[in-house]
Amino acid sequence: MVELKNVSKVIKGKKIIDSLSFDVQAGEVFGFLGPNGAGKTTTIRMIVGLISITDGDIYICNESIRKNFENAIQHVGAIVENPEMYKFLSGYENLIHYARMMKGISKEKIMEIVDLVGLTDRIHDKVRTYSLGMRQRLGLAQSLLHDPKILILDEPTNGLDPSGIREIRDHLRMLAKKRNMAVIVSSHLLSEMEMMCDRIAIIQNGCLVDVQLVKDFVETQEHLYEIDVDNVDIAVMQIKELLPMVQVIKKENKIELPIQKEQVPDIIKKLVQQDIRIFGVKEVSKTLEDRFLEITNQREG
Amino acid sequence: MLQLLRNEWLKIWKRSATIVMIILLLLIVGLFGAFNKYQGSGLSVPDNENWKHGLELENKGYKEQLEDEGLPQESVRYNKKEIAINEYRIKHDISTNVDYSVWDFIADSTQLISLAGLFTIIIAAGIVANEFNWGTIKLLLIRPINRIKILLSKYITVLLFGAFMLIILFAFSFILGSILFGFPDEYYPYLNYYNGTVKEQSMFVHLVGYYGLNSIGILMITTMAFMISTVFRNSSLAIGISIFLMFMGSTVTFLLANWFDWAKYLLFANTDLTQYYEDTPLISGMTLSFSVTMLIIYFVLFNGLAFWVFKKRDVAA
Repeated sequence: MVELKNVSKVIKGKKIIDSLSFDVQAGEVFGFLGPNGAGKTTTIRMIVGLISITDGDIYICNESIRKNFENAIQHVGAIVENPEMYKFLSGYENLIHYARMMKGISKEKIMEIVDLVGLTDRIHDKVRTYSLGMRQRLGLAQSLLHDPKILILDEPTNGLDPSGIREIRDHLRMLAKKRNMAVIVSSHLLSEMEMMCDRIAIIQNGCLVDVQLVKDFVETQEHLYEIDVDNVDIAVMQIKELLPMVQVIKKENKIELPIQKEQVPDIIKKLVQQDIRIFGVKEVSKTLEDRFLEITNQREG
Repeated sequence: MLQLLRNEWLKIWKRSATIVMIILLLLIVGLFGAFNKYQGSGLSVPDNENWKHGLELENKGYKEQLEDEGLPQESVRYNKKEIAINEYRIKHDISTNVDYSVWDFIADSTQLISLAGLFTIIIAAGIVANEFNWGTIKLLLIRPINRIKILLSKYITVLLFGAFMLIILFAFSFILGSILFGFPDEYYPYLNYYNGTVKEQSMFVHLVGYYGLNSIGILMITTMAFMISTVFRNSSLAIGISIFLMFMGSTVTFLLANWFDWAKYLLFANTDLTQYYEDTPLISGMTLSFSVTMLIIYFVLFNGLAFWVFKKRDVAA
């Protein structure tokens, strides 16, 4: 649905985005993750044509955004950063305004969308009086008017309270699954992405670091175990004897080692045989955040 | 395209600032009318049997002044004009004993054209810059519509708004003038002095023409405000520069013209086309076709710059 091919962006001689390539399928929520300033927003703005592309190209439903902007963009609905609407117009007038810019959107269609995002009661009030959550929903309505195949949201949960975040998340998942839309979401909130997305692309300093399924991303095969022992040095020696390939991390009176579950009893047995006192063994579960930091740190190191 | 124009029109009229502008314009015309009406005797011309004699005396005075070699060029021009018109009156028996009528009121209220121009500048300065300030430009440009079309719809809307303001001013001063002062009892022509000869003109034609020629100045300065608004995305800057130039431009140009010949290439030496119909040019040697050419060059320059920048702009912030 959306395909980035070696997309680069140079601003004032500085490479902001360096040959980025990935694609997004129909029916999935695709997360775009990176620390602030990594180039998420720039990339999203290039996808919707707000920023020109220095090199490479982006294809939306096989139409080039550079060469056939109008044809490509008609499949896209988007909110770029905060959903800024005309505050002096009512919500309905805002939607009419955007509906006029595209072909064949009936009044019934507008009301149907309004109903979908749950704004029916307040739609004729001025946007000035809306809460941030309501504006976000109006923004969503605006992006859905023309039944886009692709929905792009830049930081959709920025500034929303937990219930607002949840609301948006549910909407997005529903749209992706029921309408088979491709949804692209950018965020720096990892926990948020973990709950919302199917796949995640990590971007750092304008380069793509990794694209993974959220499931795989969080659940790696090996788990990290932490063993609390009285004599770290001997314990490490013993483990090296047993499993020479494993990287053991020494800490003050603990050792950490990435191993598979089946190997745990063997290690304990070995340590106990050597009269090493074990105070505890526990699995250290990795969150998306740990993985994220790990991946981005590796790149930096 | 029509839909885009409807959108822009809607966005103008839904803002209270626009409504305030219209009310202000009407209010000032109203005050102007009330002032003229109740100011009293100054306006009603007393029946003067000897008006011809009066004009002859006047002309005699002008002629004596003309004999003075040191008289500035400006005054020479003015005196010649007055003499010609007065002679024409005497010859064709066109009395100066006319009551203040709707035509005079409209002619007086042409001073308010610059107010209409001012409001149009404010709209022109905001129409692009505000979209950037509000952040709505992002949602506007991700529609399947060429950016050129979007900017063009905004420009046309500004022009429509300007035309609308002028029509309101003209229509309202016409209505108010006819209520307060009524129509003249008999046909009363406007005497136009141009190139040494005096011509009779219908008042209505003269006034419409006057509005038309004035709107060219407004068109140019509005286009400039629109360009600044588009290029710098800052409405205050656009309003500030445009209003400053609108009020100071011709003065500064006039001053520069005293010393430098290139002053005639400046925008404000050319915006006032009435100089070719009613008066003599600001800088001698300028012709109507020269001014029109200069205006077209400026027009293309302003719009070319605005559209080019808007098309290329990265919407980043």
